[in-house]
Amino acid sequence: MRENIVEIENVSYSYPRSPGMVLSEISLEIKKGEFFGLIGPTGAGKTTFCCALNGIVPQFYGGRFFGKIAIAGLDTLDHPISILAKHVGQVYEDPETQLIATSVENEIAFALENLKVPREEIMRRIPRVLEAVRLDGMEKKHPAELSGGQKQRLAIAAALAAQPDLLVLDEPTSQLDPIGAQEVFSTVYKLNKELGMTILMSSHAAEEMAEYADRIGLLSYGKMLLVDTPDRVYSDIPLLLENSLRVPQVASTFYSIQKKGVPISKIPVKLEEGKQAIRELVQKNDTACTLKIDDTSNVSKKGELLIHVKDLEHVYPDGTKALHGVSLDIHTGEYVLIVGQNGAGKTTLVRHFLNLLKPTSGVLNINGVDSKKLTVSELASHIGYIAQNPDNQIFNMTVWDEVSFALKNLKFSKEEILNRTEESLNSMGLLEFKDRHPLALPKGDRARVVIAAILAMYPDTIIFDEPTTGQDYKGSQYILDISRKLHKMGKTVIVITHHLYLMPDYAERVVVMGKGSILLDAPIRQAYLDTEKLNSTFLSPPQAVLLGKEISRIKDQEFPLLTPIEVADCFSKNGGAI
Amino acid sequence: MEEIKPRGQEREVKNIGGASIDGAPIAYIVVLAAVVTALAFIPFSVVMASGGSFPMNQGIFGLIGWVLGPIAGAVSSGIGALIGVFVAPHTAGVWFVTVIGAIVTSFAAGVMGTQNSKRKAWWIGVVVVTLIAFGIYVGRAILVNGIRLQWAVLATFVNWSSLLLFILPTRNLVVKWIGSKNLVFVAIGLALGTWISFGIAHTVQNAFTYTMFNWPEEVWVMLSSIIPIEFLSRCAIGAVIGTGVIAGLRAIGLVKPSEGVY
Repeated sequence: MRENIVEIENVSYSYPRSPGMVLSEISLEIKKGEFFGLIGPTGAGKTTFCCALNGIVPQFYGGRFFGKIAIAGLDTLDHPISILAKHVGQVYEDPETQLIATSVENEIAFALENLKVPREEIMRRIPRVLEAVRLDGMEKKHPAELSGGQKQRLAIAAALAAQPDLLVLDEPTSQLDPIGAQEVFSTVYKLNKELGMTILMSSHAAEEMAEYADRIGLLSYGKMLLVDTPDRVYSDIPLLLENSLRVPQVASTFYSIQKKGVPISKIPVKLEEGKQAIRELVQKNDTACTLKIDDTSNVSKKGELLIHVKDLEHVYPDGTKALHGVSLDIHTGEYVLIVGQNGAGKTTLVRHFLNLLKPTSGVLNINGVDSKKLTVSELASHIGYIAQNPDNQIFNMTVWDEVSFALKNLKFSKEEILNRTEESLNSMGLLEFKDRHPLALPKGDRARVVIAAILAMYPDTIIFDEPTTGQDYKGSQYILDISRKLHKMGKTVIVITHHLYLMPDYAERVVVMGKGSILLDAPIRQAYLDTEKLNSTFLSPPQAVLLGKEISRIKDQEFPLLTPIEVADCFSKNGGAI
Repeated sequence: MEEIKPRGQEREVKNIGGASIDGAPIAYIVVLAAVVTALAFIPFSVVMASGGSFPMNQGIFGLIGWVLGPIAGAVSSGIGALIGVFVAPHTAGVWFVTVIGAIVTSFAAGVMGTQNSKRKAWWIGVVVVTLIAFGIYVGRAILVNGIRLQWAVLATFVNWSSLLLFILPTRNLVVKWIGSKNLVFVAIGLALGTWISFGIAHTVQNAFTYTMFNWPEEVWVMLSSIIPIEFLSRCAIGAVIGTGVIAGLRAIGLVKPSEGVY
């Protein structure tokens, strides 16, 4: 029988200022070589749990600690963090904040030097760990030159170099694009399967966790509600929904089919299992999907031409050609989704709409006026831009000051500032937090503060740049619901995201970008079904689309299905009444 | 509502061999030292006595003492100022006096708010050292260089006023204000505290610089009006930067150094 690497007995913990227990009565054992997945909504205590495994909680943070955690037999309260660090490697959410050295090899050597590992041994370990994370050959590169996925893999390599018994990864893919996330997951999976490394990973990436983890623990309000195999955890959909957790689309699809009265013996949670199950289901049942590829019921009527882009090129000062030959028209009242891999030119393109970047060549008109004739402040009063990381846009001491900041600078009257700020905070559900420091709020709420500040300016167009990065499912939905509300109010909404599975209920039109040009510009149904184009820019279509394609293949007829509900409706008694 | 007692046995929480100095995490010491170094680049006044310009970091030495405590604060400010001397020589003045000033300011500020019962009498040591320095500085001016008493008193207004405020209960009042939830009081506490703590350090610094430069009475006359203005600038810098730092630290809930008073 495999030995336990982690033994947790009745652990409860509270931070010095927290009103209650952040972790409560947790008992768990993790065996050597196991891949343990940790899921839970924001605020469930996942990061606290991860930090408790190497003694940072409670040794660094203080507070009250009950029970016992032993890592490789070492009690985390009786041993210094420096000793525990040899047994527990830790990788955090944001790769940018973990890298400090000026070269890849120095980054790996840094922790080892601190652990007083002899130089010769350090030199031996560097190539070994770089090979394990597939970064060999990049020893001399500066970490800043690496892509997001490579940076996170470097952070993993640095943790691995200490030869820990346990590798803890806290949301390691939430800041990465799909290809970066896939790189990290496959690296971690390889470490687990080939090198026998014990893994504990917390993540909101339901599809990947279902695919790779041996066991999943569901943490909610500090309590470990369930520990079981991914099959069992992800098929308990009511429990997941109750805890605001995202369900893999395969499981969600079959759950919806089951709810329609179609007998399903076991809800699959992995894509391949799902495809197999859908094949069997189609053969056993009558299907009646009526959606057509040119379905336009979801598309709002085009308004006036708002943004006109013709043959736009942008070359950065270092010679990087970020955009070339981009032509695009956006009309008022549209909801446009811009997708593509990192470096595809999405953010570069939308920054031109605000004059934050100037075209190297080509035409860009905003409301019929050449953008070069407009100032940034003129554009800012019409176009609101919500950048990827809300923290980069927050600098005031209170939520109220943050939201009213721009209004004061635009010299609105006191009464107008008061009314607009109050209205904006109210619409975001933030009025009760108006006197709080913005950074004291959870990340989801911080994003809402930035949105409120933009809304207070009454812009006609709002650009959301990766609004769901780093958000949990509930937070993502909340922000996208706001975008839909704004769209219904007649605003033009432009969203950049990698999370395609979130968008079918919101976007109407999709612009797929790759390597600085537009690969496809089509209604969402048509764009999502063009899996070849999506794959060419390293995007994966949602699992429901792939299940729909499987039905199409069997029936030899194109069914343009986007969501689990649409797939499930193919099996409804009424037949495809979407 | 009574909280349910967890089943697990409550454990004693302590930081075993962790990376900290006097209860302040090394990371904080390094970050604040880096801030001190960065602010060393910014001159904010012309110095009449020792040449060069005052660095802006003089406004935050006190803050560092209140955030990190007397020992960790002195280490952080001292390291930051020492690096600043080399990378920003245009504000360095007499290099060792600059470093001493940083160390003494943070130490004096930290002593004002120490939570450690064994350190409750440390303020007396600060007073004794300051009195000795004051004696060397003013004594030399009057007895050796013949500076008239009226100019000696006027030009050392910041020195004797800060020493008096340090001895009086204002020392505790400053700490109470800095710990207040009301940021207006925090700002007032930081401003007054910066006056007191830098005034102490200024006295110690001048024991060295005056012995080296022996500036004539004409300079004392000018200093009598310039020095208080410069001190007010330091207080404003301490209050503005400090209020933001303290509000931010409180908001994000990072672990508080054991000697931190915010």
